[in-house]
Amino acid sequence: MNKIKNIAVYLLFVMLTLQAFTLSAKNRFPKPEFESGHTQPVTITPSPRAIFFEYLDLVVLLASLTLISWFVMKKRSRKGVFGISVFVILYFGFYREGCICSIGAIQNITLALFKVNYTIPLTALLFFLIPIVYTLFVGRTFCAGVCPLGAIQDIVAFRPMPVKAWLEKVLGIIPFIYLAFAILYAATGTDFVICRYDPFVGFFRMDASFAMFLIGGLFLLIGVFIARPYCRFLCPYGALLNIVSRFSFKHMSITPAGCINCKLCENACPFGAIDMPVPHKEKEKTEVIVRRYVILSLVIPVLIIAGGFIASNFHENLAMVHHKVKLANEIMNNTNYGVIGKDAIEITAFKSSGQTTEQLYTEAAAIVDEFNTGSWFFGGFIGLVFGLTLIGLTVFKYHPDYSPNKANCLSCARCMKYCPVLPEKK
Amino acid sequence: MIKEHLQTNLKVRFWRYILVIAGVFSFAVCILMIANYLQMNTSDPVNTRLMNTLVERLNKTPDDQALRNEIRALDLLARKAYFTTQWQIRFGGYMFLVGIIIMIIAVLMLDALNKKIQPITVVKNDTLPDTQNKARKWISIAGIVLAVVTLVVAFLSHKDLGNKFSRKEGSENNMNVNNTTQIVSNQIPQQDSTFTDTVQGSNSPEYPTAAMKNNFPSFRGPGGNGIAYQKNLPVNWDGSSGKNIRWKTAIPLTGYNSPVVWGEFVFLSGADGSKQQVFCIDKKSGKISWTADVSGIQGSSSKSPKVTENTGYSAPSLTTDGKNVYAIFASGDIIALDFKGKKVWARNLGLPVNHYGHSSSLILIDDKLIVQYDQSNSANLYALSAQTGKTIWTSPRKVKISWASPVIVNTGSRIEILLIAEPFVASYDPASGKELWKIDCTSGEVGPSVAYANGIVFALNEYAKLVAIQIGSTPKILWENNDYLSDVPSPVANDKYLFVVTSYGEVACYNPKTGDKYWNHDFASPTYSSPILAGEKVYLLDKKGTMHIFKADKTFSLIAEPKIGESSFCTPAFSEGSIFIRTGNNLYCIGK
Repeated sequence: MNKIKNIAVYLLFVMLTLQAFTLSAKNRFPKPEFESGHTQPVTITPSPRAIFFEYLDLVVLLASLTLISWFVMKKRSRKGVFGISVFVILYFGFYREGCICSIGAIQNITLALFKVNYTIPLTALLFFLIPIVYTLFVGRTFCAGVCPLGAIQDIVAFRPMPVKAWLEKVLGIIPFIYLAFAILYAATGTDFVICRYDPFVGFFRMDASFAMFLIGGLFLLIGVFIARPYCRFLCPYGALLNIVSRFSFKHMSITPAGCINCKLCENACPFGAIDMPVPHKEKEKTEVIVRRYVILSLVIPVLIIAGGFIASNFHENLAMVHHKVKLANEIMNNTNYGVIGKDAIEITAFKSSGQTTEQLYTEAAAIVDEFNTGSWFFGGFIGLVFGLTLIGLTVFKYHPDYSPNKANCLSCARCMKYCPVLPEKK
Repeated sequence: MIKEHLQTNLKVRFWRYILVIAGVFSFAVCILMIANYLQMNTSDPVNTRLMNTLVERLNKTPDDQALRNEIRALDLLARKAYFTTQWQIRFGGYMFLVGIIIMIIAVLMLDALNKKIQPITVVKNDTLPDTQNKARKWISIAGIVLAVVTLVVAFLSHKDLGNKFSRKEGSENNMNVNNTTQIVSNQIPQQDSTFTDTVQGSNSPEYPTAAMKNNFPSFRGPGGNGIAYQKNLPVNWDGSSGKNIRWKTAIPLTGYNSPVVWGEFVFLSGADGSKQQVFCIDKKSGKISWTADVSGIQGSSSKSPKVTENTGYSAPSLTTDGKNVYAIFASGDIIALDFKGKKVWARNLGLPVNHYGHSSSLILIDDKLIVQYDQSNSANLYALSAQTGKTIWTSPRKVKISWASPVIVNTGSRIEILLIAEPFVASYDPASGKELWKIDCTSGEVGPSVAYANGIVFALNEYAKLVAIQIGSTPKILWENNDYLSDVPSPVANDKYLFVVTSYGEVACYNPKTGDKYWNHDFASPTYSSPILAGEKVYLLDKKGTMHIFKADKTFSLIAEPKIGESSFCTPAFSEGSIFIRTGNNLYCIGK
């Protein structure tokens, strides 16, 4: 017993020592800027950590995913999922300050693909891949309670109200558009927009702009009535898992045996992810469905080209988010970021950089050109999403019982407790 | 049963109270935090009325130590208050979080205690086709609205940004191209001349002009080719006894740039990490006519460039067209001053990334100021308008850093700008900046500039080779040699002879056409200065300040070795009957 105690003490000592190294990298004093009025930007990422802790994060991710999958698939335990959610909020949320996360890792992957001088950290790569692999096997158990953003919303979903099924489908397109934005801006090295506009990271770090706190608060407030609004109608990683989950080998089921159509679970899902039984009689005429299917299939290429064309016309607005394009524009138009009487802080910084305006214009023109090309893909992708969604809404799938929608189901296990059917005895 | 019911009721009331208390607490903390935040944002702790009044009073009575201390104490107090407010917001955040967590727990407990079996409500749901129809309809509407709004916004906000940036970049490059001819025709008034001056366009075979030949307008003379056209030059002087020393003037700031001469004036520059100055010295009296501070240039970096001691902040020599004098510094600051020291224009070419420090000297062709700006971050040859400083053209170069200077030569059929840098020697058209030819033939950190004579360009560098390039319709290497090389002094040539000076002080004379060596002589004294060919004489100043004057001939023939008595790294400048030598801290005028 003493031996175990000693090992625990040594382990604690080693962990604290390692943590001390990371502490030394932090600012010793905050950076006030009284004279210029410049507000220090909020850092997107928390302080770097020792490599040991990065691997610890991976271990925790794997353990949480395995455990929650076991709770969902084998134990059918909502309490287990809830317990993991609380742990994840505390660990990946408050302790790890919302970073690293699988959602933001999309941008690391994109940047690594498009910018050769960027080396993706192994942990970012694995944080992106591991939940996808799990989803391929057991559905979106990551969303159930391992994602701190989902977990914090899940806990406040006190009075969920149903969203109309057709509206759910319409709003379901938004995450794909957000994904396209995130990829475009990461690929051009503009910004990690997912991280910058993460509504909950401010709570986790207790440090964000007032506006971000407000947005996070609003999401949680809305989340009381519309369960998990960010996960359902914004999350770009959720959009990816939505697609992967459709092909998952196994998936949780509402009933442990055969569905008896008792309707007890009909209103159980706060996310509207239960597919109701669809009787044959509801089916439209086959020739109508086929004709519509063919027309929409032919329309998809048009939508892709139209999307690309429209977005390419919009590429200047998209490019203006890039700080160099913005700076070049301000200098070219002599607008000085609206500051009167003195140089704006950005102009002062540029002047002290030693770069000439000619060089800036050259760089800005190249970035705008990148956006011109990128926006064709961006718009084309959005056109494709619209087209495929419309095609998906043409397919008639007959099913006689209540079952979770594999794409939208977040595997939270709420519906299970509504089912009166007992597991079959083996 | 009743007991259990009462217990449940008690628990429900308890959690309800907890919920209310936690809610009120969280709300109060939230309000306080917002108030604190607004206060922190609206107040400027070190810009209060009281503080400003005290500072004003201190300005009137700067010796009032008590007031000074009072301001310091107030300032400290204000900063403390600022950080306390920050701490309060952070602490309040944690309190708020704790309140919310308690609220959530209370709500969950109430939910758990309030177990009620929900009745099965038979809701008339839409059929699947109805749902799909509605979804398709609204997705189509949303798509159309999105497309229309995007197109409208794109149309309304269309700025043609990419092209505008390119044009702006181009316009800075091409500005004044159209008025080149006009400026050329209004060329500067010339000095008294023994040569007939005809001011021509850049493709004119008349270069260097008569006025340039009458003066010494740039590093290594007119065109930077190492030839001085002056006569009656002294060959004997002595710095220690003052023999043939007309005057000696102390230069306030050090610099390794060589003097340039026009009319009655000699121009120099000097700089240290904090100051950059241009000096105009009266040629007759040696007095400093004016000193111009070069500072506050738009775009100039606030940080000082890193330079080595051997290069310094003002290694590039100035150039002049008789109207203005032009100077560039290691900071990338470039300035044009008129002959009264008044700024005509100034700009910054971007902080050079150069591990020794920028050292390429300036040179002029017609109205264009030619700047070789081969840095590690970017390498460009610029032609700036001498009148306005605007870029007339830029020629990007794929070369490493070069410390050599441009040389402008007249080949008989056209005028070419010759540059050397690793890996090639290249020629550019002064009118357009177009690369005329280039030959890969050099390597390393190139310091010496090229020499030109009779259709042959001579280029060399230490640890590389000496190359003679026959220019013409198809430039080719005429001959190569690697016996005598240099890392600082440039070679000099005329129709008959090529002189190569090594940095350790050995001179070799070659047949420029064949590469056959006529002779070599070791002066055994390190040399940074470049040799100047004046008539039949070669003037070579070593680092100790000894001028080795020898005949430009097939055999070595020493004429004289006068000493200035001070070390010098600079190349002398020549004027009719006079030589100007810059030493560490002084400028000497030598002449009878």
